[in-house]
Amino acid sequence: MNETTTEQLPPEPPQPKRLYRARSDRVIGGVCAGLGRYFNLDPIIFRIGAVVLAFVGGAGLLAYLAALLLIPAEDDPSAEPGGTPAGRNRWLVILGVIVLLCITWPFLLGGGLLLAGLLVPVAILVAAGVLVWWFVSGEGPAGDAGDVAKRAALGIGVLFVCGLISIGGAWAAAAGGETIVAVVVIAAAVIILAGAFVRPVRWLVLPALALALSAGTVSAAGIDLDGGVGDRDYRPASALDLRDRYELGMGQLVIDLRQTDLPSGDVPLEVDLGVGDARVVVPKDVCVATDAHVRIGEIRTFERDNHGVDVDLEDRPDAPAGVTRLLVKANIGVGSLRIGRSGPELDLDHGRFDRGPSFTDLGRNSACAS
Amino acid sequence: MRVDITSVVAGLCLLALGVVLLLDAGGTLDLRLGGFAPLACAAIGATLLASGMTRPR
Repeated sequence: MNETTTEQLPPEPPQPKRLYRARSDRVIGGVCAGLGRYFNLDPIIFRIGAVVLAFVGGAGLLAYLAALLLIPAEDDPSAEPGGTPAGRNRWLVILGVIVLLCITWPFLLGGGLLLAGLLVPVAILVAAGVLVWWFVSGEGPAGDAGDVAKRAALGIGVLFVCGLISIGGAWAAAAGGETIVAVVVIAAAVIILAGAFVRPVRWLVLPALALALSAGTVSAAGIDLDGGVGDRDYRPASALDLRDRYELGMGQLVIDLRQTDLPSGDVPLEVDLGVGDARVVVPKDVCVATDAHVRIGEIRTFERDNHGVDVDLEDRPDAPAGVTRLLVKANIGVGSLRIGRSGPELDLDHGRFDRGPSFTDLGRNSACAS
Repeated sequence: MRVDITSVVAGLCLLALGVVLLLDAGGTLDLRLGGFAPLACAAIGATLLASGMTRPR
């Protein structure tokens, strides 16, 4: 007769409570949700705390980033009680500890503002990288520290490429290639739309958006580099030397008419500037009528001043018989337009153009009929 | 077949931006910052909203 004995296994010792980044109920990386679960508190308390601390020298942002790197995710095999941290990149853990030390060091030893000024932009960049990669690939900040860092690096790479594309788009639009940019954006939109039904190409969204927004901003700002770049100084001697149109892409454009022998009656003058400062200096016996538009910047004509976004200034006074009336039509992208007599604010010889105590520094449009 | 909502929304926003740019380049539309800024914000916002509503992997 066989006798079977049942061995009583000793009860397993209670597992220590461990802190994980929660997979469910997370907003970004599951740090606050994990803390809430660990301390048996509502995660919203930790979320509010993180946001509040983010505005205190950026400590909340840095702490969140450090927690993202240091606290294992719920589904990370190395996070299991018996697991080893071999799956994680140890150097990243060390980096996380250094970040944590950097957070606490300023509060312990002082000099935090300087360090925060360096670390907060880095933290924002890394967080932006994670979010960009999340958008592009759909892979959230889950997994171990190595995965998070890898996604952050890829996201920063995408941001860098988008930055280059933005610069290219802005330059192309300013150089007169807006049509090409528009066609490229439409082609990208069609590919993305078609991909939505076949195979999504989300990675194309951000570069295309960067291209469209930069080109659109440049076009809306009226920046046109067709007229060239640099400083232009025109001092025509007679009406024959006076051009109908003065154009400059970027720089300072000065049209000094003080020595110009202008005929009586209406004399048209068109000023077109992309980015910079345009000045029109007129003699005392000339009446000036202005029709100017500045996308971003300032218009100052004699006693009138207007500044901001999409600034218009229209002033059409009549001139007495036998008096020259200069019809200035100006279109400035980003910058300023000044029309006036030479004075402390319009000192062409010394290049000074500072804001004076009163508008009379630009003189008065006194040659016009009252 | 599963349609990627984010791609649809982003594609439509980009299409709108591209058409606006084309009209501006052709002289049909005079694009100004006061009009372009809300359009750009709406395009970014709609894309982010669509992305946020899509469950991350």
